[in-house]
Amino acid sequence: MSKVVSGKPRSQTEPLLTPELLSQLERLELVSRKIFRGRMKGERRSKRKGQSVEFADFRNYVAGDDLRFIDWNMYARLDKLFLKLFMEEEDLHFYALIDGSSSMEFGEPSKFHYAKQLGAALGYIGLCRADRVKVEMLDASPTSNAPVLRGKANLWRMLEYLDGLQTGNNCTLTEAVKSFSLRNSGKGILVLITDLMDKSGYESALRYLVARNLDVYLIHVLSQPEIDPDIHGDLRLLDCEDGDVAEISVSQRLIDRYRQTLARYIEDAREFCARRGIVYMMTSTERPVDRLVSRYLRQRGLVR
Amino acid sequence: MLGPLGWVLLGLVPPMILLLYFLKLRRNPLEVPSTYLWTKTIEDLHVNSIWQRLRNSLLLLLQIFLALLLILACLGPGCQGQKLAGDRFIHLIDQSASMAATDLPGGQTRLDFAKQEAAKLIDSMDSGDTAMIISFSDRANVQQSYTRNRSLLKRKLAEIQQTQRSSDIGEALVAASGLANPGRTSDRESERDVQVADALAAKLIVFSDGAVKDVPNFSLGNLVPEYRPVGALDVPNNVGITAFAISEDLDSVGLQAFAQLQNSDDEAHSVDVELYVDDEIHDLQSGFEVPAGDTRGISFDLGGLLEDLESPLPVRLEIKDPDVYLLDNVAYGTIQPPRQARLLVVTRNNPYLQYVFETDRLAKLSRVEFKEPGFLKTKEYRDNAMLGVYDCVIFDQCVPEAMPECNTVFIGCVPPTDQWQVSEPAFPTLVVDTDQSHPLMYNVQMGNVLIVESMRLTGPPAMVSLMESTAGTIMGVGPRGGYEDLVIGFPIVEYSDAGEETHNSDWPNHLSFPLFVQNIVVSLGGGARFDANQGTRPGELVNIRTRVPTSSVNVRAPEGDEVSLDSRGDRTFVYGNADSTGIYSVLNEESPDDKQLFPVNLLDARESNLAVRDKLEVGFEEITGTVDFIPETRQFWPWLVLFALFVLILEWFIYNRRVFI
Repeated sequence: MSKVVSGKPRSQTEPLLTPELLSQLERLELVSRKIFRGRMKGERRSKRKGQSVEFADFRNYVAGDDLRFIDWNMYARLDKLFLKLFMEEEDLHFYALIDGSSSMEFGEPSKFHYAKQLGAALGYIGLCRADRVKVEMLDASPTSNAPVLRGKANLWRMLEYLDGLQTGNNCTLTEAVKSFSLRNSGKGILVLITDLMDKSGYESALRYLVARNLDVYLIHVLSQPEIDPDIHGDLRLLDCEDGDVAEISVSQRLIDRYRQTLARYIEDAREFCARRGIVYMMTSTERPVDRLVSRYLRQRGLVR
Repeated sequence: MLGPLGWVLLGLVPPMILLLYFLKLRRNPLEVPSTYLWTKTIEDLHVNSIWQRLRNSLLLLLQIFLALLLILACLGPGCQGQKLAGDRFIHLIDQSASMAATDLPGGQTRLDFAKQEAAKLIDSMDSGDTAMIISFSDRANVQQSYTRNRSLLKRKLAEIQQTQRSSDIGEALVAASGLANPGRTSDRESERDVQVADALAAKLIVFSDGAVKDVPNFSLGNLVPEYRPVGALDVPNNVGITAFAISEDLDSVGLQAFAQLQNSDDEAHSVDVELYVDDEIHDLQSGFEVPAGDTRGISFDLGGLLEDLESPLPVRLEIKDPDVYLLDNVAYGTIQPPRQARLLVVTRNNPYLQYVFETDRLAKLSRVEFKEPGFLKTKEYRDNAMLGVYDCVIFDQCVPEAMPECNTVFIGCVPPTDQWQVSEPAFPTLVVDTDQSHPLMYNVQMGNVLIVESMRLTGPPAMVSLMESTAGTIMGVGPRGGYEDLVIGFPIVEYSDAGEETHNSDWPNHLSFPLFVQNIVVSLGGGARFDANQGTRPGELVNIRTRVPTSSVNVRAPEGDEVSLDSRGDRTFVYGNADSTGIYSVLNEESPDDKQLFPVNLLDARESNLAVRDKLEVGFEEITGTVDFIPETRQFWPWLVLFALFVLILEWFIYNRRVFI
């Protein structure tokens, strides 16, 4: 624990994405369980009919239609003007929201670094598939400088943005999500990466996201000292966000009780998400990002 | 000690600990991501009562316990005890025979009780005190020199064994006073006299029944004596044998056994006394009355046991009535068969000597060869003389070339050694004095004996003068190695060269002459019609002399242990293991017929008198039976502090190992 309190964590100096991970991520694809309408032409099938090579349907010609889409073969046979309709291919909105509160600074590697890695990895998958990718740190402010990116070539911009992020933005989860929802109207996939350590609760924040009809994934990141605390003695615990104090005398009984509380907290969150169609996943910072993406998120259906 | 304020402060310590515990002054700050889960956890625990927290905090309980222990130690708990006054102690434990008396309650022996009491005193010593243990009987034995190690002292105390010896405290006192009264370099009068060491005063505690010899010539100096009498308060019941002897009766017809019985009780006792010969009952007297505090003699007729007696017989006298002291209920004796002395008389036909040796009595006691002086030149004589065939050789006016390996008697001449010198014969000779205490002169009255002329003798330095005339010593006996030479400075019958007899003395006409010859046979020749071996007392050295030369003998103790002894030359052996009473046998493997028995008896009237003396006399002081104790509070606080230290270590262990908080 003291490693976290004093000194800069080793993980901050490490690159977010390694070349090995990048090559691994290129083969993956973000999957949405819903089909959304994109704004620009992308590589995804849209609900709308449009210009692609894939035939969709015919309809009667009405004045003003583009003459290029008239099926002249039909006209020759039936002497009626029909218009060929093709499937439209669209892009996908992908949002990754990273919790930037001070509590994310803990752990080895820190939860924040872990979250950035994860956000970068998922964002890169989106960039590779020409999706609309926005990786953003949760913030209560009405404006955001997070870039909206498309295409693999913009990877460096995403990484530049992520590298510039700092913790210490201690707004509540609800305020930050509300602000995000107001600023972004696009539908698509949203991955919320947070430690859920918010005393005001995470429930209302998740409700905002559900109301936006987004495909929401919640990745709950916890550091190992939080999962299995290795502390002893009579301690005065200081909350790094609000300076709250909890005085404890560590005993085996207390540790056991803490583990029970944590397990119940995780279980509550899982149940809350399950009821609202949110995919919940708890992970420890000890678990490598590549394994998380290539294995666990694949199982959950976020990537394929 | 603490004043009221101190007590109040002390009493405040446990509540202060509790207070401090709740104030949690010693909590270490620790930054965590969120206290959210911890607060929830604590809230769960807070639901339980505060006492549950206390119950689970073993450390707090231990701390309060530690504080209580220390407070208790400060209170100085203790119990009233006794402490020996002084810091150096010498315990003198009597281990003599009388300490085996079982007159104490429960049949405990006096020695056991003394050891028990001494152990109590050792227990009550302070940790810095030193003590020393000396056991004594007729000799002293330093069991343990000064030490502070109480367990060692008690172990050595337990090792003290009962002996069957008499008691003499003198040697023990000398050993005890070694450090208390250190010696001086020279005489006290000199100015340059220096005391070699600092005198260390010590308390001398004597555990004894008081049956010890008084020690008149001993100065206690820096020793502070205390006497702890050991034994029953009322006089114990004991009738014991204090003397036992076997001798010929007056008319030399048979043997008699005499014994003296002592009753140390304050009421009369009648006892049954049995006499065993060769382990078979020979005689008994039942209901023999011994008055209170008095002695009575008792005799048994042993009859004609001496007739055709070939090997020695053991004799045992027993008092059959049991009492508290059994050692003096048995006395041992032996009857040795008659022994004939082998004598050689070298004389030119001295008729008086021949007449004397022909008497019945001397014929039984001796076997005599008469030879002319020419025999001295023969090889037979030389061989016999060198081999010690003779017990005694009588040279009547003749001198051998070399002294034979036996006792000798020279009549009217001197041995051919430088040590013996004679003057010219002097006339007349008036006998002035005879040494009647010497065995050779028993019953020899020289008052009316006439001696014409005699030579004055000068002998070796250790010569004993037996007869003196106006001119000086005319008869003397002197040692020569292991032998004795008797020289008589006057001839009895002189022979001229023509063979005429001239009488120089009328001694052969007097009764004293055959008695004198008999003394020679018995004393120098070792002849005995009856040999009553009076034996020795336990612990004394026993001198054994075999009849024939031998290199080693075995001595078998009454318990059956056998010890092989090597000769010291001249057929004598010394046995030093006669520690218990009974009959010891001497076995000679080279000549199995030469079996000897010797008895070992305590026969000590002082040991048999079991009345406990209430004082001892040492020098001019009387030691009475008191021991100074000073009341003492036995403190327990060091133990409490020790225990508190243990609790502290336990607490430290728990704190570090987190076994359970």
